[in-house]
Amino acid sequence: MDNDNIDFKNLWKQQIVSKPNLEEFMVQLNKFKKAGLKTYWITNAVLALTSVFLVCIWVFYQPQFTSTKIGLVLTILTMVVYFVVYNRLLKPSLYVGVVQSNQNYVQGLITIKKKQQFMQSTMLSLYFGFLTVGICLYMYEYTRFMSPVTTMVVYGLTIAWSALNWLYIRPKQMKKQQLIIDELITKSKEIRVDSVDDEME
Amino acid sequence: MDFEQLYELYWEKIFRLCMGFVNDYATAQDLAQETFIIVWEKQDTFRNEANIGTWIFRIASNNCLRQIEKQKRIIKTDLPPNLAEERSHSLEPQILFLYKCITDLPETDRIIISLELEDVKQAEIAKIVGLSEANVRVKIHRIKEKLTKKFKENGQR
Repeated sequence: MDNDNIDFKNLWKQQIVSKPNLEEFMVQLNKFKKAGLKTYWITNAVLALTSVFLVCIWVFYQPQFTSTKIGLVLTILTMVVYFVVYNRLLKPSLYVGVVQSNQNYVQGLITIKKKQQFMQSTMLSLYFGFLTVGICLYMYEYTRFMSPVTTMVVYGLTIAWSALNWLYIRPKQMKKQQLIIDELITKSKEIRVDSVDDEME
Repeated sequence: MDFEQLYELYWEKIFRLCMGFVNDYATAQDLAQETFIIVWEKQDTFRNEANIGTWIFRIASNNCLRQIEKQKRIIKTDLPPNLAEERSHSLEPQILFLYKCITDLPETDRIIISLELEDVKQAEIAKIVGLSEANVRVKIHRIKEKLTKKFKENGQR
């Protein structure tokens, strides 16, 4: 087919382009850097405040039972581990492999996403599991003096909250990750299938 | 070449590549901006292993491919919403149609044809995408055929 009559290159280059001047771009760049730092500090402040709060409970309420202390330690540890792992390992990097060819980059993304998915599903299971056990142990000392009905309500609500996390939030997170991986795999296959088709001709 | 020169030389090319990928002015602007943020962050790691154009186009095309992974855009440009539309209205229908046709192609094809239209050599395109040069040549030929057919069917000649 004759392509010469349509000058695609000429049409392509007529696209209107608005280019921010370099100063405007640098403002955006700094905003981006600051936004990253802000998230980092907020995450860590939340972790620190929660831990301080739990330590305060320990200091001011002087729990007597070992179960309460184990519960508190377990809850604090769970949060610390989760936040550390989340910050360090799950944080998606904008730059990993970005200077490789498209084919290698997409392959690399799949590997990273699979690792992240494994980490996230394992971590989420451990997080919710330990948190529930920690809270239940912690509550034991205080619910002992409550009426059986109140105890049941308190534990019922806690377990319902855990069930919601376990049965709704956890699968939802995992499904989201899986969708991303599936789309990336499809994309990677498209590149490969296309090239195999071409080689065969 | 320093960052300022790179920015001046490549912004328009990168913007058009992103526009060919998404056919949306504001998104293309965001993608171009993200590309240059990565270029800024990565500029020290460039060691002439490829020519600088290949290097930047790789970053830009990978950033486009990575779009799906992002739930939110990192940066939203401050372009007023109507402005982008006004810009497209002022363009000739043929240009709009070309960009629309390119966005309808599979993702790798969008990248390949955009680079070809930017006058990037086929050997370089092969390095950017990760296919053989022969493969790229065949693909470009096919894509141009497809585009010509669409233009003819749509009476855009």
